[in-house]
Amino acid sequence: MKMSFVCPGCSCLCDDIEIVDGKILHACRRGEEIFGKYKENRAKPMVKGKEVDVDSAIEEATEALKDSENIAIYGMDTTTVEAQQHGIELAEKLNAYIDDNSSFCLGEFVEAILRKELPTTTLEDVRDRAYVMVYWGANPFHSLSRHMSRYSYYPRGAKRPRGYEEDRFLVVVDVRRSETSKLAKKNAMFIQVSDDDELVDSFFKVVDGKAAKYAKEAGIILNGMKKSDLNVIFGGLGLKYGLKDLGKFVEMVKKLNEVAPVYFIPAGFHGNMRGFNETLFEKVGYVNKYSFRDGKSGGEFAFTELLKNEKIDTALIVGTDPVYSLPFEVSSKLGKIKTIVVDPRMSFTARIADVVIPSAVSGVEAGGTMVRSDGVRVKLEPLEEREVNDVYILNKIKEGL
Amino acid sequence: MALNPMDIYKLLPKTNCKKCGEATCMSFAFKLLNRERRLEECIPLYEDKKYERQRKKLEEMLKPLEEATETGLIVDESLCTGCGNCVVVCPVHVEKDPKGAAVGKGITIDDPILRVEDGAVKVINMQACRRYGKNRVLCVVCRENCPTDAIRFLEG
Amino acid sequence: MMRFSKFLKVEADIVVARYALVMDETKSKTEPVIFLHPEFAKRSGVKESDVVEVEANGRVVKLKVKLSESAPESGGIIPNGIYASYLTNFDGFKKFKASIEVSEGEPTSVDGIIGQLKT
Repeated sequence: MKMSFVCPGCSCLCDDIEIVDGKILHACRRGEEIFGKYKENRAKPMVKGKEVDVDSAIEEATEALKDSENIAIYGMDTTTVEAQQHGIELAEKLNAYIDDNSSFCLGEFVEAILRKELPTTTLEDVRDRAYVMVYWGANPFHSLSRHMSRYSYYPRGAKRPRGYEEDRFLVVVDVRRSETSKLAKKNAMFIQVSDDDELVDSFFKVVDGKAAKYAKEAGIILNGMKKSDLNVIFGGLGLKYGLKDLGKFVEMVKKLNEVAPVYFIPAGFHGNMRGFNETLFEKVGYVNKYSFRDGKSGGEFAFTELLKNEKIDTALIVGTDPVYSLPFEVSSKLGKIKTIVVDPRMSFTARIADVVIPSAVSGVEAGGTMVRSDGVRVKLEPLEEREVNDVYILNKIKEGL
Repeated sequence: MALNPMDIYKLLPKTNCKKCGEATCMSFAFKLLNRERRLEECIPLYEDKKYERQRKKLEEMLKPLEEATETGLIVDESLCTGCGNCVVVCPVHVEKDPKGAAVGKGITIDDPILRVEDGAVKVINMQACRRYGKNRVLCVVCRENCPTDAIRFLEG
Repeated sequence: MMRFSKFLKVEADIVVARYALVMDETKSKTEPVIFLHPEFAKRSGVKESDVVEVEANGRVVKLKVKLSESAPESGGIIPNGIYASYLTNFDGFKKFKASIEVSEGEPTSVDGIIGQLKT
């Protein structure tokens, strides 16, 4: 029996990765780096630039948190649901703020899905039934490399047996001629927009039979959608930042559903970002930027805002790298507060942190659950077990308080 | 990038001397491209000094042929993200691996034409390709669905 | 030192996007690269493997030029990472305007940016 692994590299969570004779099979380039290079650039336990043992680093972190008034816990998008639960409990115990990358990524789309404002479906149903699939502001070729071959356009599905050229209709919406747009050939369409809201507006108008800037395109898409019992819009970061108002997009999807079944699945993000959103939602009813002190979520509690407005004195950063990913005006504030980094890697943020606690690579050295972009829960079995993982570390800090 | 027989023909002696066994230089050019003939079989090109410049050009031009597989397929791994489009769209794979590649999963058969290994596509068994052998067809499905030209064919 | 500029500063539309071919999952480095659209590069007198100064929001990084047809026609792509983050703000997080000019010397080092964060 062949052993298959789940790749934690992105929210596709491909579950068919094999390692045979030292070769990593079927994983994309990003997945190959996860499995093939997990021993590189590992973090070492550090306190104020000096190497210590792990227990001392955990102790130092615990003491720092005890001494702090205003704490934010941030990240956890690449770790397991089990670790996220510990992180959330820790935030509750500390009366802290908690947030992840989704607050400037696709969190609001996930929230709309969990609140049942956006109708959604699974990637298996997309494969088996979807006819029209719209990639809007997403370039899966680079961001979710196997998305189209594994789940959407290319595979043959139970009710779509004839392959992409006959049984699918691909729409790519982007501000540029992305690689994915080049795949829109026969039975397909590329719409190069400069303003995403104009296309949203066009869909509204076309349903009502009115003239609009993209009336022709929207009309063709709508007619395609009417042919199928399942159509899907995959929205990426380009959509998130192209829209002035998410509400209008949500209304648009509702409007489309008056004439054809159209579902939404977010297309982007880290392996378990949706897991963070769902885990926090189950606990407090919000997906991110939550303040346990205030008992609510709000824009002002986003990690980036807390940093920018100097509202926190300590940040516990788990498995994410804000120095790498946040605008400089925000990340530059990290130098002014106490930072504790829990990460398997010596990340850019770890290099400036006061305390570094090395952890396990989730999915490779630690098992657990992650949530795919469509909400399907996937169980991960590690290649090898590493005792000091995120669950261990977060639990130990919690007990030490 | 693509080679065509006319460009090759233009650099041959164009004397139709038949020393290579072909009736015409044009036919020799075609067979060079299909790798049924080797350039060294054109004797005048190597014996007559006046063809030296043309010979060098031809050698340069035909270099990719040596790197290409028997069907003319060339893979540039540095352009490949391992998306797997080529593996999943291949009609041979779809037929032979209905529960694997055909439905989007990592290919399960032992001797696929293409497989993603270590993050990039690798040629495993070119003999199974529809472009190979006597009844070959000029299938280009894998190339058509590679947006970065990581997969190319000699003829373009 | 006086600097004689032979080149014009040109305005460019920058898109920040994931670029799988230059990503590093080990979090050890970011490639200092900008992918310019070939037409845009030609118009602007920029060649492949030139080093350009990219300025946005009052900050400047030097990046090595590669050409890509998937870049916006009026500019380029900077892959997700520390260089893009250095230039952006949240009001233009994935798409912003920058000015570009051909420069000399080496691309900006990661340590050069991280150094500015330490206080």
